[in-house]
Amino acid sequence: MNLSLVLEHLVLVLFTILFTLLFGLPLGIYAYFDRRAKKVVLWSVEILQTIPALALLGVIMVVAGAGKATVICGLTLYSMLPVVHNTYLGLSEVSPAIKEVAIGMGMTRAYRLFHVELPIAFPVIFTGIRIATVTAIGAAVFATFVGGGGLGSVIYRGIRTQNMTMILGGTLSLMLMAVIIDCSMGFVEGRLHRHRRK
Amino acid sequence: MIRFENVRKSYKKTTVLNNVNFEIEAGTFTVLIGPSGCGKTTSLKMINRLIEPDAGRILIKGEYIHSLDRIRLRRSIGYVIQQIGLFPNMTVEQNIAVVPKLLKYQPAQITDMVHELLAMVKMPYKDFAGKYPYQLSGGQQQRIGVLRALAASPPIILMDEPFAALDPMTRSSLQDEVKNLQQQLNKTIVFVTHDMDEALNLADKIIFLDKGNIVQMASPEEMLENPATNLIRSFMGKRIGGPDQPPEYAADFMRTNYHRVNKNKGIRECIESMDRNNVDSLLVVNDDKTYAGTVSLKTLKNSAKSGVFALKRKGSDGKLHHVITPHVTCERPTSFIDEEARVCFEKLLETDSRYVVVLNHDDTIAGIVTDTSVAKALADVFWSDEI
Repeated sequence: MNLSLVLEHLVLVLFTILFTLLFGLPLGIYAYFDRRAKKVVLWSVEILQTIPALALLGVIMVVAGAGKATVICGLTLYSMLPVVHNTYLGLSEVSPAIKEVAIGMGMTRAYRLFHVELPIAFPVIFTGIRIATVTAIGAAVFATFVGGGGLGSVIYRGIRTQNMTMILGGTLSLMLMAVIIDCSMGFVEGRLHRHRRK
Repeated sequence: MIRFENVRKSYKKTTVLNNVNFEIEAGTFTVLIGPSGCGKTTSLKMINRLIEPDAGRILIKGEYIHSLDRIRLRRSIGYVIQQIGLFPNMTVEQNIAVVPKLLKYQPAQITDMVHELLAMVKMPYKDFAGKYPYQLSGGQQQRIGVLRALAASPPIILMDEPFAALDPMTRSSLQDEVKNLQQQLNKTIVFVTHDMDEALNLADKIIFLDKGNIVQMASPEEMLENPATNLIRSFMGKRIGGPDQPPEYAADFMRTNYHRVNKNKGIRECIESMDRNNVDSLLVVNDDKTYAGTVSLKTLKNSAKSGVFALKRKGSDGKLHHVITPHVTCERPTSFIDEEARVCFEKLLETDSRYVVVLNHDDTIAGIVTDTSVAKALADVFWSDEI
């Protein structure tokens, strides 16, 4: 086991989260803007989440072939739910009084979204990102089956060769990575929430 | 400045505004008041087009607001709401600067403006500008809410029950501040409230609405002198004489909580009761609830000491008790409820009795008149509020 595998794993997660945000945030905002679309959007991302990660990667591999792009694509779909859901939730939770006063002061729709609603909803959205990240770290283990590499390959090789040290090494470094990232994001989240409390 | 012409609004089957017409002059403080659901808030929100009328027209400075750009219209009208609605993600300075920023003022100009505005409400820039709303008290938050509405110097400011959620002390100081600011800056303020005291304090003109109709439109003095309907009268409460006669009978000055016992009560029990309630005499009634007289603590204590017990009765516990009957006296002055207050006062002053017993015509007790009850009744007349 070497550091390059850890880095490879991290890169997979990083790109996954990047793409999750790229698609998840607009979807969440769209669900908030359009009441009719809301049900379809939220329902779709929930369905995605129920598909086993391995199966999802398998299906994409059949269509798009093996490789890192397949992994990132699959994990992105899989991580969508917490981001979309929390974006929608955070925006809907902005108090009606705040929304009304923002309209009454003459803000345009876009200005309201970017200067009032998103900043106020951000702590909740960040919680979604944190959940998505930690989930992605775990799910990225399956990358090895579709040629994506990462720490999953260490664990898989350990299982194949019945090498306990190898399995533990891979698992522990994975756990450590998850805990460190979760804690540091948790710390940021705590600071974000502080400003919102009355 | 602002004119409503035949404005109507209804939601489904309820009519919220029914053909409303009024005009608000520039530089005046106009208060919209009425019971809930009367259409006051709806009228207010029509001015900045948060609500559109079903029919009729609204003009500002002679222009139909429905033909103006909504966003630009709103930026030229200040808006303050009851829930304050400061943006929690922005500092005090950023909150105040919202509309100037929307209007693309120069940053230096905005900073100057914020300094000036904070100085007007005596909140030093260096102490408050960088604070977040959650770090301020309710009163300070609403001060900032008002400053935010004033920031881009709009000629018109709309206020929707802005002080309703504040405690009475803060509310009255904010009322004064707003009234001062309005006169100083010569703003046209439209203010919604359901509190008549607030309306009378602030308004140049009060518009009283009920069920979507204007019931009366008048200056505070006029409305006080000449309320158009009983509803307005009831909103005014004790502020006007109206049907409430000034107190002139004994009944108007009495208090109705007093200590009363049956004449067959035991002596010991009565002494205890008086000690407990910290009084030195009790009103005594017969079995049919008619007034029998009074008994004083001193007499009872003396009789208990000397051991002269004339009469025994069976008490509630089945044992024989010495009862208070022989010690009851009728020396205490009495009045009937419809006796003139002056006569009643004379009785109170002439005797060394601490109170006058007020009786109904069937000889039951109505209440007692004491120094304190008289003072309280008079205070009610003079200051018209409950004390």
